[in-house]
Amino acid sequence: MTAIVLRSAWQGLRSTGLMGGVAVATIATALFMLGAFALVVVNMEGLLDDFGRELQVTAYLEEGLAEDQAKELAHRVETVEGVEFVNHVGKDEALERFRAMAGGAALLEGLEGNPLPASLGIFLRPENRTPEGLAILRASLDGLPGIEELAHGQEWVDGYARLAALLRVVGYALGGVLSLATLLIVANTIRLGLYARRDEIDILELVGASRLFVRGPFLIEGFVQGALGGCVAAALLALAFGLLVPELRYGLAFFLGNAAPRFFDAGEIFRLVMGGAGLGLGGAALALVGGNS
Amino acid sequence: MTATFKAQDEDSPLRAPRASEAPVRMYGVSKSYLPGSWALKDVSLEVGRGEFVFLTGPSGAGKTTLLKLLFAAERPDTGQILVLGRNIARLGGGAVPALRRRVGVVFQDFKLLTRRTVEENVGVTLDVVGTPSREARSRVFNTLRQVGLHDRRNDLPVALSGGEQQRIAVARALVGEPDVLLADEPTGNLDAELSIEIIELMMAAADRGTTVIVATHDRSLLERYGRRVLRLEGGHIAETAGDSGA
Repeated sequence: MTAIVLRSAWQGLRSTGLMGGVAVATIATALFMLGAFALVVVNMEGLLDDFGRELQVTAYLEEGLAEDQAKELAHRVETVEGVEFVNHVGKDEALERFRAMAGGAALLEGLEGNPLPASLGIFLRPENRTPEGLAILRASLDGLPGIEELAHGQEWVDGYARLAALLRVVGYALGGVLSLATLLIVANTIRLGLYARRDEIDILELVGASRLFVRGPFLIEGFVQGALGGCVAAALLALAFGLLVPELRYGLAFFLGNAAPRFFDAGEIFRLVMGGAGLGLGGAALALVGGNS
Repeated sequence: MTATFKAQDEDSPLRAPRASEAPVRMYGVSKSYLPGSWALKDVSLEVGRGEFVFLTGPSGAGKTTLLKLLFAAERPDTGQILVLGRNIARLGGGAVPALRRRVGVVFQDFKLLTRRTVEENVGVTLDVVGTPSREARSRVFNTLRQVGLHDRRNDLPVALSGGEQQRIAVARALVGEPDVLLADEPTGNLDAELSIEIIELMMAAADRGTTVIVATHDRSLLERYGRRVLRLEGGHIAETAGDSGA
């Protein structure tokens, strides 16, 4: 029976002609839009990750703290929950950095000695780059001997957390809306195909076909058409990415900085194709329920 | 007329009716599509095993409704319908396909799969019950030979004449060796000669033991064969005439 259902699905796919082509094209178009949006989201997430990696909390050390004491303090701070690593910047290194930033020695000519303090650059794990993660760090460092002052960049962490949350919410919302729209478009396209083959369904029911026998081929066709639509969408996205990214490199550099825009990896392409197949299957199921066949 | 029926598990596989039971029985059946207007009203009848019966009457008399009730495309409002021992009024949706595998149906407009070959059109009846491919091909070939179309089995229906297309439909209905064959104006689109050809194919099926009910308003066919005739008028059985023997 399974072989007959598969054969029937294969015959259906072969005989759908223009209508089948329209269904694949519709799914491909919808998935292209969904995929283009997803591409923007993954690149923005990458940008946010890069930005997040540069977020650090600076602990300025007390004047006169010995080098080995500073290193021991750095080791202690590294054990604090949520800390990824700690970078110790000595007084001399701080002065060198300042010189490099100031563009020369002219500003520092009147200074006697080195007024800049040693510090610890504390980097948090990605999941701890939140106001809560920062609060834990502050509580852990509070009163620790050797630390003069904590410059924690609260507003940066807050901004990063807000941006990441916004991107996530907008991503889910727009992705959800686009997926729903795609599902409805696919369902309607497949339903048109069902109407075109209403006589075939009537005949199958007339000769005693079970519901599975009648519906199975349409579900398989929806799955295959969805997967084909996903493949076409992935190919079109790759083509558009290859053509547009070099043309838009200056504009993209403004948003992405030094980060190179990336295309989907193999796993993401597989998910796009399977997403298409799932939408095709869901659309076919929706069409069959709506068509009451 | 009222009758009491012993309940049968409606989801069990179809059982063959006992030899003494008529495969088709209707008792006090009424069906209405619009309030106050009856497509069928208090219809009772029995058609025996291997019996060939004409169902006639003017357009709108209820012939098609009666046939639709027999293959569970419609449900009666009141009354009882027993087809092959199953009560149509109480048949669950899942049991309808099992019933239809034992009831062949032929329509005036053939209802063929236009993009499938003659062989595939006939074979669909066996496909739905999962008949192995080799056996199905053999049975389809034999049935097509009975209706004289075995040489056209690889053609598409559109390449065949109206009479030949109706023979495909008859072959599709007969290939599963049904216990009951229902035909709704099967000769409505055919000339006299082709009509006789189609009716005689169905009579041959009745001779092999299939119960056949043919709805027609072609008076010449009724007169030619002298078989039992059920005349419907305004949803009632107005008259029963002819030989009632199988």
